[in-house]
Amino acid sequence: MHLRTKSNASTLIALITTLALTGCGENENSDPTNTPTAVVREIVSYPSGGILPSGLIWETNNEDPIFASPNAKPGGTFRTYVLAFPLTIRRVGPDSNGSFAGYTRAGFLQLVSLHPNTRKFIPTLATHWAFHEDGKTVYYRLHPEAKWSDGTPITADDYLYAIDFMRSKHIVAPWYNNHYTTQIVNIVKYDDYTISIEGGSPKPKDELLYEYSMGPVPRHFHVLDQNWVRENNWKIEPNNGPYQISRIEKGKYIEFTRKKDWWGNDLKYYRHRFNPERIRVRVIRDVNIALQHFFKGELDTFGGVLPEFWHDKFKGKDFDNGYIHKIWFYTDNPQPASGMWLNQADPILSDKKVRYGLAHAMNIDKVITTVLRSDYRRQNTHHEGYGDYSNRSIRARAFDLAKANMFLDEAGWTGRDDKGIRTKDQRALSLRVTYGQSHHTPRLVILREEAKKAGIDLTLQLLDSAVSFKQMLEKKHQIAWMGWSGGGLSPRYRQFYHSDNANKPQNNNLTNNAVAQMDTLIDRYRAATDKKDRVELAHRLEQMLHDTGAVIFTFNVPYTRDAYWRWMKLPEFTGTRVGGLFNPMGGQFWIDEQERQSVLDDTATPTAPVSILDTTYLSN
Amino acid sequence: MKLRPQLNPLTQRQLERFRSLKRGYWSALTLVVIVVLSLGAELLVNSRALIVSYEGNWFFPTYGKYLPGSTFGLDYDYETNFRELENFFEQQPHNSNWVIMPLVPYNAFEVDLPASRYPPNAPSLNEKHYLGTDTTGRDVLARLVYGFRIAISFSLILLICNYTIGVALGCAMGFWGGAFDLFFQRVIEVWSNVPFLYVIMIIASVIIPNFWTLMIVMVIFGWMSMTWYMRTSTYKEKTRAYVLAARALGASNSRVIFSHILPNSISIIVTFVPFAIAGGITSLTALDYLGFGLPPPTPSWGELLSQGTSQLESPWLVTSVVGAMVAVLLMVTYVGEAVREAFDPKKFTYYE
Repeated sequence: MHLRTKSNASTLIALITTLALTGCGENENSDPTNTPTAVVREIVSYPSGGILPSGLIWETNNEDPIFASPNAKPGGTFRTYVLAFPLTIRRVGPDSNGSFAGYTRAGFLQLVSLHPNTRKFIPTLATHWAFHEDGKTVYYRLHPEAKWSDGTPITADDYLYAIDFMRSKHIVAPWYNNHYTTQIVNIVKYDDYTISIEGGSPKPKDELLYEYSMGPVPRHFHVLDQNWVRENNWKIEPNNGPYQISRIEKGKYIEFTRKKDWWGNDLKYYRHRFNPERIRVRVIRDVNIALQHFFKGELDTFGGVLPEFWHDKFKGKDFDNGYIHKIWFYTDNPQPASGMWLNQADPILSDKKVRYGLAHAMNIDKVITTVLRSDYRRQNTHHEGYGDYSNRSIRARAFDLAKANMFLDEAGWTGRDDKGIRTKDQRALSLRVTYGQSHHTPRLVILREEAKKAGIDLTLQLLDSAVSFKQMLEKKHQIAWMGWSGGGLSPRYRQFYHSDNANKPQNNNLTNNAVAQMDTLIDRYRAATDKKDRVELAHRLEQMLHDTGAVIFTFNVPYTRDAYWRWMKLPEFTGTRVGGLFNPMGGQFWIDEQERQSVLDDTATPTAPVSILDTTYLSN
Repeated sequence: MKLRPQLNPLTQRQLERFRSLKRGYWSALTLVVIVVLSLGAELLVNSRALIVSYEGNWFFPTYGKYLPGSTFGLDYDYETNFRELENFFEQQPHNSNWVIMPLVPYNAFEVDLPASRYPPNAPSLNEKHYLGTDTTGRDVLARLVYGFRIAISFSLILLICNYTIGVALGCAMGFWGGAFDLFFQRVIEVWSNVPFLYVIMIIASVIIPNFWTLMIVMVIFGWMSMTWYMRTSTYKEKTRAYVLAARALGASNSRVIFSHILPNSISIIVTFVPFAIAGGITSLTALDYLGFGLPPPTPSWGELLSQGTSQLESPWLVTSVVGAMVAVLLMVTYVGEAVREAFDPKKFTYYE
């Protein structure tokens, strides 16, 4: 589970500022195959001291290149901000999935993790892993030196306890209850440092590692009872990552401190990373005010994905004198799927011709070239950035009034009312767009004005983001303007497009898509374990999705952009494939405190302005 | 019978006094002119032409049905872009066709995005964006004008509703007194303590507020203030000799209320009117600013203000909307002061 959260964290940051984000992390929540089982305990048999099956081939990965700079200097304080003080520092349970979750969850490592460049698995809390021939069980050898932050060693029992913990009703976290019941169905302890985890269904090997990897829970710390949620809101849980919360000033800031004798300090993939001594996360409630703090040198970096920040607000003496640098860094990882999700159960939108006509009437390119300043890219399919799985031959339907008119005429919307809006049987072609981000209004305003040319009236329904998402999940929308965060190793189709989820509330099939042929392929895709088959099926599914016209994909942002004071140092290779240059919890940057002093004292020498464009990972 | 209703001499003197207070008088006149002009804003600020003469036929597109481009020999079927049509006609030599555009040839919704420049764009006389464009490329002046029309009509309707309820209930409380009065006093006290802004926020997050739902919510939580004044005033008037005299002559309750008490309490009502209008405008603007007001893309001062404050690099946004607000609210306040002074009972009163 943690893997998924982590891989989402990078997109999460970009998403919060730029794209429609509503269903991060817990997307699978609504997959109906994952219905929680009432009887929880009976599934678990915690046999210990069992005998490992013979013929296991233990694998590990110490061959991949390191992704940190040997020049990195430890020390210093990294100062960043969040827009709201977290409601809790618990990592599961009510209110724990806010924007601060990325910080707390990063302190809890998992059995294995993904190498950011090679996308292969590397040892983390486990040193080795092996696969059972049933295709759904993985064996792990645990790192014998791994310790909780209070010094207690992490053993197999912490993993057994994790299952108990995650299945407990006391943590009030249905998604976790469900995930640890239906996805991870069994755990076996062989000795203190060997376990096996059995998943719910067979999968390809890398998917197994990705889906069924988990992290331990400190069993000596928790008291699981009905008060758990309340009592753990502000309790600092022992963790196993490099940073631990050292100070909480409610409403003001939370400070993390680097553990001096962290067990992972000398491991290959951890050296020269996690360089700052302290990380201070302040609460600044307004982005523009935060920017002023950044300009005063009170924050070290500032995100600049939004065009108006990058082009208009990142200006001034400190930029001209080379004190603040700018970097535009392309990444290559699964992109969120942002678009207009058409509710096919709606009487107007149930007509495929109307959907096609609508798609040709959406001037996405104009939005990109105007308010988005040509910084965003048109998204053509649901799954972009998934390597071989992405179907690159599909191009989204372009703005074309002739085609739009043709399709709408064919669909029978031939009348016109006084305002020039098409009509059919006295009904105007008026469609409601539901969305939850007020800063997306300019984009929709342009689409609305352009759509009028095809005789389509779009009405904008701006709601509070949580309310708009709820309305979409309940399928009360006509057009949902939103994005699903990307993630995972391969595309996911079932939750979005399988007819099992159509016309039922509270799931991710926002288009109410129900195509029998697609269902068959989706089921085959889920059952397939051979990558070649899966890729082929994914390509076909993507094409079929395109043919339904159920989604008009909009844009994506395959890069990160930041402004940073020049005391912030990046490695010679700048960043990894997944970006997150200044991700405080896992980045490769370091801080030069002397330079900070000299810049702030005005004794540093100015240089020419620095603006870096890194296209190493720019894909097509 | 006279054609003009004879004004009561007191009212006449109050009006004369009002007229003599120059600042308030001129503010009132200006405001009336602005409101009247804004009602016909389509003739002044609009993307539709006032008159098009095309091959001998005259068209008046302002208020009518949409005219597709093909009407004027253009190659499209959506609504004619009259600014382009004007240029098109001018470029054709020996052409008798012409277009008269309004003063500001933009409406409040259309996006004008010239190539190679990104909105917001600075004011420009050439492009007839006299106050520039907003972050989406819409004309700021057009949005100000239409936003004003919405704000002032909202405020006026709100005022009428609030005063109807407030005056009626206040009057009834004062007139009947007793248990009725006590009961409603408590109701109003309780009701006044409902945090209005939170209610609006909750409602706005569940439904899209439109002009009328917002109005209903504002009336539900806004009618209370007038009741207190009317109640006291009615209590006071009720015991005056002329009311007693009317009663002695057998006047009915409704006659006493409508012919005697209300006319004599009118000065209280009138004095509060301008301030209530200003209050209506500011509260709508505040709600729009916070994002709980009318849904986008409705032209609104609050929305423009919130754009302006987050885009201080584009000063024309914030200056134009703040300027317009200050001007209107200042004028309303001047009128209010003048009315208050003109109706001041200490200057003109029949009673000792």
